[in-house]
Amino acid sequence: MSVKYIPVQWNPNKWKYNTIMLVSVFAYLWIFIELTPGIMANEGRINGQIHNARAFGSCAFFMLTVILCIGPLARLDNRFLPLLYNRRHFGVMTAFVALTHAGYILNWYFAFSSSSKYETLLFANTSFSQVAGFPFEIFGIFALLCLFALATTSHDFWLKFLTPRVWKRIHYLIYAAYISVVAHVSFGVLQDQQNHIFTITFMISALIVAVLHLMAALHERRHGDQMANLSDGWVEVCDISEMKEGFANIAMLANGERVAVYLQEGKLSAISNACAHQNGPLGEGKVIRCLVTCPWHGFQYNVTDGRSPAPFTEKVPTYNIRLEGDVVKVDPQANPPGTYVEPVPVKA
Amino acid sequence: MKENAPFFVGYLKIPAKLHGFLIKVSVIIFASFVAGAFLAGASQDDPGKAGFRFDFGRQKLKGVLEANPYPLLHVISGSDRIDAGQTIMLTAQGKSGIMTDTNALNGRVVEATGVIVRRGDLDMLQVLPGQRGIKPTNEASILPASEPLGRWRLQGEICDGKCLAGAMQPGRGLAHKACANLCLLGDIPPVFVSSKPVEGEEFLMVGGADGGMLPRELYHFVGQFVEIEANVERRGDLLVVLVEAENVKVIK
Repeated sequence: MSVKYIPVQWNPNKWKYNTIMLVSVFAYLWIFIELTPGIMANEGRINGQIHNARAFGSCAFFMLTVILCIGPLARLDNRFLPLLYNRRHFGVMTAFVALTHAGYILNWYFAFSSSSKYETLLFANTSFSQVAGFPFEIFGIFALLCLFALATTSHDFWLKFLTPRVWKRIHYLIYAAYISVVAHVSFGVLQDQQNHIFTITFMISALIVAVLHLMAALHERRHGDQMANLSDGWVEVCDISEMKEGFANIAMLANGERVAVYLQEGKLSAISNACAHQNGPLGEGKVIRCLVTCPWHGFQYNVTDGRSPAPFTEKVPTYNIRLEGDVVKVDPQANPPGTYVEPVPVKA
Repeated sequence: MKENAPFFVGYLKIPAKLHGFLIKVSVIIFASFVAGAFLAGASQDDPGKAGFRFDFGRQKLKGVLEANPYPLLHVISGSDRIDAGQTIMLTAQGKSGIMTDTNALNGRVVEATGVIVRRGDLDMLQVLPGQRGIKPTNEASILPASEPLGRWRLQGEICDGKCLAGAMQPGRGLAHKACANLCLLGDIPPVFVSSKPVEGEEFLMVGGADGGMLPRELYHFVGQFVEIEANVERRGDLLVVLVEAENVKVIK
């Protein structure tokens, strides 16, 4: 959380995260570029530019794979949430690793002719109507453009400027980028492979991403929030016995929005489940020092008015709440973000 | 969320209960990248022994130049690396052939200076720019007659001759198709790599059925495993296959 935009809000955990990721990436590149040529018992030597292009290209693919695994892993097991925290940093690193791959390709395969390398990239192969020999470079270009669109808009300034809803939709491009990279590799280097170790590694990686997303979707279906019942214009959230001090119960409204109902200091309050930062699930957060804390990036809100503590300015909608017997009910009509609602005491 | 579950907040200290788990995850991520690098890096296919032979030094050859379908030199006076009587394909630097320079020199004796690009018994001479590369002489010459070898059905791959000879390693296949097309657009001689020897040769220069350059529509077949039915000729000690677009089909 910040009251002004700065390039990166460093903290010790960010340093640790970035160090681990950077060390892993540098290890990958160093082993691929420097060590493996000595291991291969090849008669001929692969051109340095092609070898480097493969190192950076395959590294970008594995980085993207890790990035896409973090989301579903965090849905399946909360302990993975720290990896989600600074995933954007890893995404920006990926964009630059992919750009280096593109640079090697462009300055090798598409250079040395009388035309501009940017033009030759587009006209050298125009076999768009065939599968074998399809200009797979086009998939790589698309993926790179997506990665840079995401890297460029990764800062919180763009999140606020575009609104979380639009920003989130733009950032779903990561899936288009990944599918495009899979196509780029499948129609490209895999077509010529005699040694299938990379092919198998590549397929397993892509399969892990697909299976994890499937598992997360199934988990969401089984354990996700159920549509709340409506009675007398109010929705039933849960029985009061299901509420735990400092935690929330979540209800899904007919319009698809979710309400997080908190029990704090013996009183009930209801706010939107979507964090104003990135739509993180506030109902899965925890009350720390009287403020509900988003599990994704630690944004905090007062549950009575949906406002972040001063000097922060984030606000989420609140909901009117009442207790009918033992049933906790909320008004499905949200109050404007930041509206104070008197907490409802729970009788002992 | 469970009551006792550790709750991570980025700007606070990591909960003690999460320490061990996060250390394990970090080790797994690092180990995955290390393993991935070894698996991807060490399993690359062997591109074969080929490349520019700068170690042979600059070659100065004299011979009769044949311009079509692509420039060849029938060597009269060779070097310690290229024997007299050998026929060698010619190319310019980068992704450019020397067609514009050689059309007027068809059938004349020239001095060709450059560096050899070699893969097995496939040789190509990359000549220096301008008159330093191809210098016409006034010596009388007779262009050796081509010897028709009949119609053949061949299977193999159409490549650009220069990358195949070793200018790029690897320099063939579908991943290299755009680069190969670009070389061919630059008038670098295409070469057919036959899956079975033709008159003892694995590499054949490719031209169009009209005796000219490779038809543009055949660029779509570059890098693929194809079957072609075409006339084959011997030019000096080099075989040339003259292909019609309609007689090429993809095998796999």
